[in-house]
Amino acid sequence: MLTFAFRKLLTLVGTMIGIAALTFLITNVAPGDPARLVAGPNATEDMVATIRTEYGLDKSLPEQFIVYMGDLMRGDLGQSIVTTRPVMEEVLRYAPATLELVFVAMALGIVVGVPLGMLSAVYKDGPLDHVTRIFSISGVALPAFWFGIILQLMFAVDLGWLPVSGRLPLVTRPPETVTGLLLVDSLISGRFQTFWTSLQHIILPAVVLSFPCLASILRVNRAEMIEVLQSDYIVAARAHGIASFRIVALYALKNAMLPTLAMIGLRFGWMLGSTVLVETVFDWPGIGLYAVSSALSSDFKPVIGVTLMIGFFFIVANTLVDLAYAWIDPRLRSA
Amino acid sequence: MTTPITSPSTPPAAAITMIDQTELSRPLTFRERHASQIRQWRLYAHMFRKSFSSMLGLTLVVLFLLLAAFGPLLAPYPEAASGAIDMSNKLMPPTGANWFGTDEMGADIFSRVIMGARTSLWIGLIITGIGALVGVPLGIIAGYGGGWLRAIIMRITELFLAVPGLALALAIVAALGPGITNCVLALALVWWPGYVRLVEAKTLSVKEELFVESARSIGARTPWILWHHILPNCLSPIIVKMSMDMGMAILSAASLGFIGLGAQPPAPEWGAMISVARTYMPDWWWYSLFPGAAIFLTVLGFNLLGDGLRDILDPRSRDR
Amino acid sequence: MFGKIIRNIAIAGLLASSVLASPAAAFERTDKGNVIVFGGRQAIPVLDPHVRYDWSTRMIQQAVYDALLKYEGDPAELKPWLAEKWETSADGKTWTFHLAKTAKFHNGDPVTAEAVRYSFERGLKLNKGVAWMLKDFLAPEGISVVDDYTVKFDLKAPYAPFLSFLPWWYIVNPAEVKAHEVDGDYGQKWLTDHAAGSGPFKLGRWEPNVLYEVESVQNYWKGWPQGDKNRPAGVIFKIIREPAAQKAALQRGEADIVEGLTPDDYVQIKRVPGVVIEDHKGMTTFGIKFNTQKGPTADINLRKAIAYALDYDALIQVYNGAATLETSPLPDAMKGHVAVPGMPRKDLAKAKEYLAKSGYAKGGITLPYVHVAGLEEARRIGLVLLDSLKPLNINVEIKPEQWPNMVANGSKVETSPAMTSVYTTPVSTDPDAVAYQYHKASWGQYYAMMFYDNPKVSEMIDKARGSTNWDERAKLYADIQTQIVADQPEVFGMLQNRRWARRDYLQGFKFSPVRFTGEVDLYPLWVKAE
Repeated sequence: MLTFAFRKLLTLVGTMIGIAALTFLITNVAPGDPARLVAGPNATEDMVATIRTEYGLDKSLPEQFIVYMGDLMRGDLGQSIVTTRPVMEEVLRYAPATLELVFVAMALGIVVGVPLGMLSAVYKDGPLDHVTRIFSISGVALPAFWFGIILQLMFAVDLGWLPVSGRLPLVTRPPETVTGLLLVDSLISGRFQTFWTSLQHIILPAVVLSFPCLASILRVNRAEMIEVLQSDYIVAARAHGIASFRIVALYALKNAMLPTLAMIGLRFGWMLGSTVLVETVFDWPGIGLYAVSSALSSDFKPVIGVTLMIGFFFIVANTLVDLAYAWIDPRLRSA
Repeated sequence: MTTPITSPSTPPAAAITMIDQTELSRPLTFRERHASQIRQWRLYAHMFRKSFSSMLGLTLVVLFLLLAAFGPLLAPYPEAASGAIDMSNKLMPPTGANWFGTDEMGADIFSRVIMGARTSLWIGLIITGIGALVGVPLGIIAGYGGGWLRAIIMRITELFLAVPGLALALAIVAALGPGITNCVLALALVWWPGYVRLVEAKTLSVKEELFVESARSIGARTPWILWHHILPNCLSPIIVKMSMDMGMAILSAASLGFIGLGAQPPAPEWGAMISVARTYMPDWWWYSLFPGAAIFLTVLGFNLLGDGLRDILDPRSRDR
Repeated sequence: MFGKIIRNIAIAGLLASSVLASPAAAFERTDKGNVIVFGGRQAIPVLDPHVRYDWSTRMIQQAVYDALLKYEGDPAELKPWLAEKWETSADGKTWTFHLAKTAKFHNGDPVTAEAVRYSFERGLKLNKGVAWMLKDFLAPEGISVVDDYTVKFDLKAPYAPFLSFLPWWYIVNPAEVKAHEVDGDYGQKWLTDHAAGSGPFKLGRWEPNVLYEVESVQNYWKGWPQGDKNRPAGVIFKIIREPAAQKAALQRGEADIVEGLTPDDYVQIKRVPGVVIEDHKGMTTFGIKFNTQKGPTADINLRKAIAYALDYDALIQVYNGAATLETSPLPDAMKGHVAVPGMPRKDLAKAKEYLAKSGYAKGGITLPYVHVAGLEEARRIGLVLLDSLKPLNINVEIKPEQWPNMVANGSKVETSPAMTSVYTTPVSTDPDAVAYQYHKASWGQYYAMMFYDNPKVSEMIDKARGSTNWDERAKLYADIQTQIVADQPEVFGMLQNRRWARRDYLQGFKFSPVRFTGEVDLYPLWVKAE
């Protein structure tokens, strides 16, 4: 098991280096000039050159690449040319907001997706099954940005139940930072009002983000449940007269949970990618918004940094899933 | 590489046909030659018709294709798509004259949504087309060839798959600059690895099948095996994936358009329309509502269709 | 048994909906007094006054720093600020400033001549942000401390617009900056999100990309125009990126003033009770710059044809009437502006006449129109242009570009597109700020994408900027304006109005056209108690 975990870890590091190289090359093929942007509209040529030198943009591409990879080994993601701050520092500042959003969305997806999947497995080919099927495919087909706008329109503007955007009301000072997750920090510092408002702020973006994830959890759970329900031991259990509810809840669900967990792991990284859209719509100050605003101002180091970060979480989630599988089923360790 | 076959239009049947012709003296009619296939397709059609969601998907896709084909004829104001303006008539709510209302330049949104179908079809076709054209051969090479070639191809593929496609595409478009061509290019660049992984896995399993082994033992050349055995067997999952991907590619392009890095107005692209329309919220709600609904229905259509096809063509892989 | 599960799910659903039903927390004023909330679209990545200066950045810089002079009013006038008075030598090369002795930095240090000298030296040596304004005429060695409260500038050559740039050179506290210097960076890293100024406000919360807060200084050395009693506790500059969200925040009273509504929003929100629109004539000019050196637009007759074909009324309509057409290359609020007679307006007959004289009598060409990606109005004007040129059989290809790429392409004749839309906001009220854009020495800059080359005009500009006699300058600038219009290096568009929507209880709003679009002087604002 340990060697397996070690091998996985090595792959992880290798992939990270690969992604870094890939994104660096991709973002540097085009001749954009971010130095020009930050120098200001009236800057003279030598002023732009000053900034280029400061950020090492005057070096040749291979040189820049070597410098970048070298810094990366030391955990340095370079410097944003727009904010002049280290990208690592900024990514770490924005990451909690994103993680909080993803966690809540994930929880929503599980809480709704698992029971729905279970029900549609039990009532396979029934009307509920058909409805959930269309519902789950709709979940993937919904443009997140549009769905977000429609929800804002309905619940924030029309009904006025929920705030339009942001994480907290303007004048609410955020609770003392412990985890960076407002929902947790506000509870730690005992500020229940703040907890309540931040919960209200997170609902709409989390719902939008959870939709595709909910759909896939539902589908996997349904398929696994169907398979388990048809298996010998369930049939035997039924024959022994164990009540159908207990069969479904205890035996079948337990056995269907692992693939569902795997799907959750997969979806986690994928959701981090979608935050790019959801955070833009809801003005959510996370790494997605950071990536978009950096991309729009041709500030590439943050774009690479965020891509790396998302890739990192994505691979870690996948590795954890692999490890969980291997732990349960030793045959997979040779894979 | 040249392929020794002459009729590439009948891939799954080719091998059987040859044997049939050596056994029977009189030439068979098309119906007789393909009797078993016709039966099978009838069964498929029957299963497909029985499924409500598949039929819904098919209807939506056909509708979308019709709009894409005859958009300029169907749109009441086709010139709205090429940037015609009517400032006195701007931001009008839906009426009999403008079913979906008008936008900030007085252009008819209904016409622009219809004309947008063609843009989206084009986007979807190119992205999935490039994705499959690059990914399928690489997948077959990796799966069939094995060795260091496979190692290289799969490493690169995994690298691309390790980052969510949208995030990577965002980085690429940010570098290339906004625009529909760059957006399509970026998405195509992140799209092919999915095909490599799919086809590679399938090829690996088909490679070990008896009929491939025997073809190899009687001295069939590799290209011939690839074309006559491997590719036909990979075809169903590829078709299913391409149908699903049409929808997802359109959605991804619209997403980039929305962020401001994809298609640019006045090009009638739904995502870009919403990007502009968003600033006209909430008072001019119709502006963002209808293009969004168009994206949703189109993507839903392709997904339902793909889902239905998978049930029939590739039942084992369902829900994986 | 399943009934139970379904019942539980239903209960969970009800719980969820009860969460939805509770209203968002109402907006509250803080304990220290009224805090004014300004909703703006643009973040402030770097506050350092000698490194950056876009509108949002400068708004906060102006709040926390003071400069020797300050622009106030409409038309903008130079007011003494840290400098109480000043003299200039007869040759226009030496300027002496006498500082206010009461001025204090936030930490209590007096604002001395050395602080002024250090600040200008810092700006020039960093060679960023504001440096371009003075660097050709002032060397760091040219600044000298006469005594604690007197500072002298020796220019390399007489430079009439010198004074007009000084309000944008903010004075930092050398002691604080030097204490935070890292590797000789002049404290750049620290000043990115800290301040060492003497302005009416000091920095409060600083949450990048979310909000920036300034707190008012109790005994601001210059006093408070609204009276110390009415002085707000502070101002929160809140990033609200979407116009729709800005509008909602204003309507709910979560923001007291917002800057980024769409032209159509302003029309709508005007009807909301309690909301007032600030609508003022600005100094930002819009021009469609032709590449006058290469391609079809090198042909003056084609340029004239396009200028006469454009539907100028539609430009105004794009802003829902909140704009005025340019009557000269110089904005109306600028010193020395004259309304040039014969400014092209839509006249298709004339346009066709010019087209016939050009090398493209039949049209049949496609010209690119480049605008900055994301600039809504520029894009819409592109559509107007496209529509206007159809009768000439000229097709327009609308191309959005990222700003850096647009500037890079526009820096060379070969790569500069036929038509580029450019908004320019002059940083001072001196006519040189606009006129110099038409000087050949400006080639390569974004505002000189037309590569205009008229030696006579360049000569007049040189003469005007070196002269200290206003009457002589005024006459030169009148000739310059007329000649530029005759050469039609660009389509002269409109001056858009600067607009904000504010709550009616927000008092003290003072407009000054020399500030950037969106930028507000926070100093005189206050909230009138209900």
